[in-house]
Amino acid sequence: MTETIMELQDVRKIYQMGEFEVHALQGVNLNVVPGEFVAITGPSGCGKSTMLNMIGCLDIPTSGKIFLEGSDISEFEDNELARIRGKKIGFVFQTFNLYPTLTALENIKLPMRIHEFPDVEIEEKSKSLLDAVGLSDRGSNFPAQLSGGQQQRVAIARALSTGPSILLADEPTGNLDTKSGRGIMDVFKRLNNEGLTIVMITHDMGIAEYAGRIVKMLDGKIEGGT
Amino acid sequence: MKNIDIFRLSLSHVKKSKMRSWLTIIGIVIGVAAIVAIISIGEGMQASVQANLGSLGADLMTVTPGFSRATGFGGGHSSGGGVSSETLTDKDLNVIKQVSGVLYANGMVSGRSEMIIGTEKTSVSISGVDTSVWRAMVTTDLEAGRLLQPGDSNAVVIGYSLAHDVFLQPVTQNRPVIIGGKTFKIVGIFTESGGFGGTDNAVYMPADSARDVVTENVSRNQFTSITVKIADQSLVDSVKADIEQKLMMSRHVNPRTKDFTVTAFASIQQQISSVTQSISMFLAAIAAVSLLVGAVGIANTMFMSVMERTRQIGLLKALGATDNEVMRLFLMESGLFGVVGGVIGITTGILISVLISSVGLRMIGPGGTMTTVIPPQLIFFALTFSILVGVISGVVPARNAAKMKPVDALRFEQ
Repeated sequence: MTETIMELQDVRKIYQMGEFEVHALQGVNLNVVPGEFVAITGPSGCGKSTMLNMIGCLDIPTSGKIFLEGSDISEFEDNELARIRGKKIGFVFQTFNLYPTLTALENIKLPMRIHEFPDVEIEEKSKSLLDAVGLSDRGSNFPAQLSGGQQQRVAIARALSTGPSILLADEPTGNLDTKSGRGIMDVFKRLNNEGLTIVMITHDMGIAEYAGRIVKMLDGKIEGGT
Repeated sequence: MKNIDIFRLSLSHVKKSKMRSWLTIIGIVIGVAAIVAIISIGEGMQASVQANLGSLGADLMTVTPGFSRATGFGGGHSSGGGVSSETLTDKDLNVIKQVSGVLYANGMVSGRSEMIIGTEKTSVSISGVDTSVWRAMVTTDLEAGRLLQPGDSNAVVIGYSLAHDVFLQPVTQNRPVIIGGKTFKIVGIFTESGGFGGTDNAVYMPADSARDVVTENVSRNQFTSITVKIADQSLVDSVKADIEQKLMMSRHVNPRTKDFTVTAFASIQQQISSVTQSISMFLAAIAAVSLLVGAVGIANTMFMSVMERTRQIGLLKALGATDNEVMRLFLMESGLFGVVGGVIGITTGILISVLISSVGLRMIGPGGTMTTVIPPQLIFFALTFSILVGVISGVVPARNAAKMKPVDALRFEQ
């Protein structure tokens, strides 16, 4: 039996919208093994972002279980979830979500500062990550002084700073031009080749092709995949 | 997250939105500066009142004829409803002298008269004194000459203002002056005493001479007041009670028909100082209102800041920051407004206070200047208060930020 890094068992999420119930996830089962690159695709409103939020410990399911490296995170309290997602999960967002008042280098340091890494490690690791995403000369720039592609590279470096078990990317190329988007996907591909587990949401099949496995969602359910 | 890192993050926000931060801080600066300046003026006022009253002597009390009390509808006792026309006599003076704890008792004849030097004349306040005890009771120093002594008859000692400010021509020692139609020689001039009940505008002469020159009619064995010096300040209350008791007996009156008043200067000091304290507390309360407005400004800025930074709050939580860390981030930011506003406010308040002292605004009344006093505890209090105001103003916005769900915060669109 293959060891899983992430496992979703009959996960359901119901949002109460006034008198109506919205069934965003309707019994989703998914296994992700270490070193996998999974792309989740589907039309808008199919529940893929909701699922990513569950995997990323940003939200908890209404029912069902989510295991991250064997621990059932669906039972965790808010602060436990915060610690888990900070240490074990790296996020890359569509809108980059860099901290606007911090420089590129400080943005990469931020998760390590939150988790109180030693200062020496913070300095060394942030510089080597900035270098790894090809922005070593942009460390002192603020996000507003960087292009979209550069901002997303800083976001990737930030996501990797705490050495996460899994990288979650929500439409990482959605706000980028084709060339910058491909550049970002090349970075993802390289990281995956180095052994990093990646789960990515995209509605762009061209981008999904970079992944080793494509999972298709429709109306809150997994419809199929490769 | 370490506090120092949270602080750096707060600082990055404050520095990034400079204009808004400064406008918020100015609200606190105005409040704190107003409090510091007003309290320092109040303290100065109190110190100045104390200094002026101190020259009266806390070990002195006066006995005056008459007793002021309210009247009933059906009419009252003969001495009711104002000051009676009773007088004090030699007999009263002797009774007071016998009271234990009384060091000296000076029978005074006070009134007004006209003083002429050359072609200039002015109305002056005359104090006729018992030359044998007066020198032991005077609390103002001499600028020139000597005090009155037993045997003096046509000699006067005058106050500083009379010698320097009132007349155009120089008024010097040994100069003859005409008071109430009689010629006197100035044997001494007092230094400036300033303030309340001082000697600056008075003429001192032997009581018998005063009876002849004052416009009021005072008989040979009568006094307009008796000044008493006691052996020990701590005995003020007991000696006062004793004098009242003995005088009531000798004058055959009871508390209801009492026809004299004993006033201790120490209690006047206490009353005036409690009035000045009330005034300065009232002014400080008004200043505190402006600090309250500053606090509302901080709260407003923090609410705006939390709303604008909703996605950043979501990001911090996504990166692993706990509710408590997010809360501390915003509290430090609002506290920072308090600290910076407090420090600048205190400095501004001190500058205003120093400016007032150096410009030397004239206080109401003659001879006084407005001084300011800044007690060290005021600086400590003002700083603590402004930090507290900053932190408290930030509590609700910070709690709102801390309670946000990361998934909702990340989705937030402005």
